[in-house]
Amino acid sequence: MMFGEPIASIGAGARRVAQEVGGIVVMTGQVLRALVPPKLDTRELWKNLYKMGNKSVAIVVLTAAFAGGLMTLQTGPFVKKLGATSLAGWAAGYAVLREIGPILIALMFSGRVGANNTAELATMTVTEQLDGLRALAIDPVRFLIVPRVLAMIVMLVALTVIGDLVALLGASVVGHFMLHIDWSTMYFSFADNLRPTDFLHGVYKSFAFGGAIAVASCYFGVTVRGGAVGVGRAVNAAVVASAVSIMLLDFFITYLSA
Amino acid sequence: MSMTPAPEPAIRVANVSKRYGDRRVLDDVSLELAPGRRLGLIGPAASGKSVLLKLICGLEPATTGAIELLGTSVVGKHESELGEVRKRVGMLFQNYALFDFLTVAGNVCFPLEQRGGLEPASLAERVANRLRAVGLAGSEHKLTGELSGGMKKRVGIARATVADAELVIYDEPTAGLDPVTTQKIYDLLAADQQRTGATVLAVSSDVSALAHFVDEIAFLYRGTIRYRGPAATIADAPDPLVRQFVRGELEGPLDERGGDDVR
Repeated sequence: MMFGEPIASIGAGARRVAQEVGGIVVMTGQVLRALVPPKLDTRELWKNLYKMGNKSVAIVVLTAAFAGGLMTLQTGPFVKKLGATSLAGWAAGYAVLREIGPILIALMFSGRVGANNTAELATMTVTEQLDGLRALAIDPVRFLIVPRVLAMIVMLVALTVIGDLVALLGASVVGHFMLHIDWSTMYFSFADNLRPTDFLHGVYKSFAFGGAIAVASCYFGVTVRGGAVGVGRAVNAAVVASAVSIMLLDFFITYLSA
Repeated sequence: MSMTPAPEPAIRVANVSKRYGDRRVLDDVSLELAPGRRLGLIGPAASGKSVLLKLICGLEPATTGAIELLGTSVVGKHESELGEVRKRVGMLFQNYALFDFLTVAGNVCFPLEQRGGLEPASLAERVANRLRAVGLAGSEHKLTGELSGGMKKRVGIARATVADAELVIYDEPTAGLDPVTTQKIYDLLAADQQRTGATVLAVSSDVSALAHFVDEIAFLYRGTIRYRGPAATIADAPDPLVRQFVRGELEGPLDERGGDDVR
């Protein structure tokens, strides 16, 4: 009896997680099904592309600039000490393009766009707006979820590309002004040592991260229970699930492409 | 002598039960509503009225039983299979269910846009007429968040009725409205119904106003239809529970919790 309660609690927790994972998988299937044939509400798609992408540029630029600069600050003193300043750009760029850029931007995107998306859908759910759509013969998955999922994937990839460029610029600026490395040295360090696959590796990741954030944020939004408290819980769950998904996907994509 | 077959009911609910976990909300409910008729549904709070409306529209699955809506079974159907029948139904939700991403005009226009077939000018004219009818002329461009509860309710009514649906379901159409507006709204709904010949199912707590609008009233109590009879004589129904509820008397078989003293 002594271990009964903890075991039951672990079992209940595992069951909840399995239910949520199952729900997310089902929603992924619904989204894919709704895409065949592709019948999109283009007005909703454009609205979401603007809201999720355009309005996230500033925060992504800020994050990426500091991330790139930080990588140079961390690696710069060592490459200088070893007399390998021609590798300063490579060290920062490799880390930023393949790992830090996609992950940091995805986490920022999850916190800003994913959380907002969950809150919006959850509020629509508790105020019966989704039922209102269904009563008018509108499939909420096709009308609300699919445009959001597509917009999040497209925009996270686009933001990652922008973020990569800004991060490389940030790395160069820090290298030049704080570590006194020539602009040309930084440029050739990038150009000679970074390969297109380093850049594409990050793009693949951001595509996967975008899908994970989108589906998790939509799933927790439409399955909310309760009022304002439920909305808060749903946002919390979506942010946690997105962060865990980002880390898991990052690990497996890196492992499989190694 | 040839007999004309009875028309197929607009709504047929047969032995329907609904449970949420261990909680039984509806228990073996059966109900039929002929086309063109107006039925009111009353009952104490949490007696399952709104749930029954959602089951009828296929918005919630029934635990057991059969439901037909305008001749189409809604039980066990996928969303995509219910689209055609739902286009023939207008529904007002208890909490309005207005789309906050659209303006007032956008909300009212939405069912017409989705059905298609109308020119933008006709759409705008129809929306303006409907908003005028519910006393909201000039509110076209407001967002739903800027409206009071009563105004939201009227936008919901405009949206539910703008497409002249064959069946209209109202969940508390006059909750939150003052007595004068309540009467105006019921007059409007009655005029609409006479014009279109639609079947109407309405849930309301305002029994006296409802009784003037509908032909019959059904009393839902503890998840079952306890009584159904003419609206005009509902206050003198033979069932003491119904009489007490309709008259709003404190003394009687209904206790304070809407329960039953006699078990």
